[in-house]
Amino acid sequence: MTDHQWTELAAPYALGALDPEERARFETHLADCAVCRAEVRSHKEVAALLAESAPVAMPPAALRDRVLREARRVRPIGASRPGRAPWLAAAACLVLAIGLGYAYLRERAERERTVQSLAASRDTIAARDSLIATIFSPDVVTAALAATGQAPSARVYWNPPRHRVVVAVFNLPPAPAGRTYQLWAIPHGKKPVSLGVFNTSTDGRLTAALEVPLGLTFEVTAVTEEPAGGSPQPTQTPFLVGKVSPAD
Amino acid sequence: MQKSKTDANFEAVPDDQQVKAGVPDRALVERMAAGEERALGALYDRHGSMAYALALAIVREGADAEEVVADAFGQVWRSATQYDAGRGSVAGWLATITRTRALDLVRARGRRTRAVERAARADPDGLATPLGSSADRADRQIERHEARRLVTRSLAELPEPQRRVIELAYFGGLSQTEIAVELQEPLGTVKTRMRAGMEKLRGSLAPLLVGGSS
Repeated sequence: MTDHQWTELAAPYALGALDPEERARFETHLADCAVCRAEVRSHKEVAALLAESAPVAMPPAALRDRVLREARRVRPIGASRPGRAPWLAAAACLVLAIGLGYAYLRERAERERTVQSLAASRDTIAARDSLIATIFSPDVVTAALAATGQAPSARVYWNPPRHRVVVAVFNLPPAPAGRTYQLWAIPHGKKPVSLGVFNTSTDGRLTAALEVPLGLTFEVTAVTEEPAGGSPQPTQTPFLVGKVSPAD
Repeated sequence: MQKSKTDANFEAVPDDQQVKAGVPDRALVERMAAGEERALGALYDRHGSMAYALALAIVREGADAEEVVADAFGQVWRSATQYDAGRGSVAGWLATITRTRALDLVRARGRRTRAVERAARADPDGLATPLGSSADRADRQIERHEARRLVTRSLAELPEPQRRVIELAYFGGLSQTEIAVELQEPLGTVKTRMRAGMEKLRGSLAPLLVGGSS
């Protein structure tokens, strides 16, 4: 497109009459063409004067009150009253700006906290929903894990269609530093498969929902204590062992 | 200076009770930027009827026009600190805001503008002719308004096809392509008419223009 052809777009542009793609192209051109920018400015002035050609119509008297009433509700953006001491106004502006900035930041922090707490609540609810959905189903089978000498006990709820288990652990002190508990699924005649690691809280309890690898079925489930992060295979004899039995 | 001439032209409307006619529009906007409501009232007294007439020429119902004017003055009030005198007169700024708001409202309602309705009826008078029967009284007000008289006359002097495409763009919010469809004319013809008409208007309205390129 020649310079001349670009300039021809200034008038329709000022009237808002270019099609969207043409307008976008012209605006890109405007960014680095001072001649076209000047043309646009001058045509925009002409366009604004067209308002004067609208058929004469007198507004209802009440409109003036409405305009003032609506304006009363908001202050002009950045409004300040320049007084005889400009530095005072400037200082007042600065104080106001700091105040507004502070108010803004506080407001934003508040909003972020709310958003975060909402997200946390949503996660909690989702986790509980998942627990409940896993346990309360006709397909669920359970395994009661008896203590092998110590006091702790656990119960595993396995929901095969959802490929999930919920493990509930009681009377098990938290694992020592650098250690973790690991739940195993042991298919008949095969090696144990990890269902995940967990830790109990100080009251010795834990309830957690864990994924079961797709297609995995198992008869026995067990808990061991492992190095943090868990092990590919148990490194010790399980201290909790249970056999899967159909739900009754 | 050209600038003061522009302001003088726009001030030739009836004086208001609170602000002297000698105060230029720009000074009113500065006072609005300082939060002075009286200045807003004065600006409304000067240009409220222009804004209302413009809004009414685009929307159809008086109630819609009132909403547009209240919105437009609200925007002028809120953004008074951002007004840049180098980019045109206060009245032009207000007109641009009013037009945009009016077109937005029409589009939001999924309607056609009043100007497009008139064009569809192939009204040969175009838009620059008063609609009501109170034309005589209205004419006397026009007499008092230098700028309005010059604009109306300049538009009336344009060949009708040129005036129509400009009015459909400005009051109807139509693009050149849409105008071509509306008038069932080739797009190239619409483009040529629009450009030629705007060039003529720029020439005849030169006394009112702040910048005035070349």
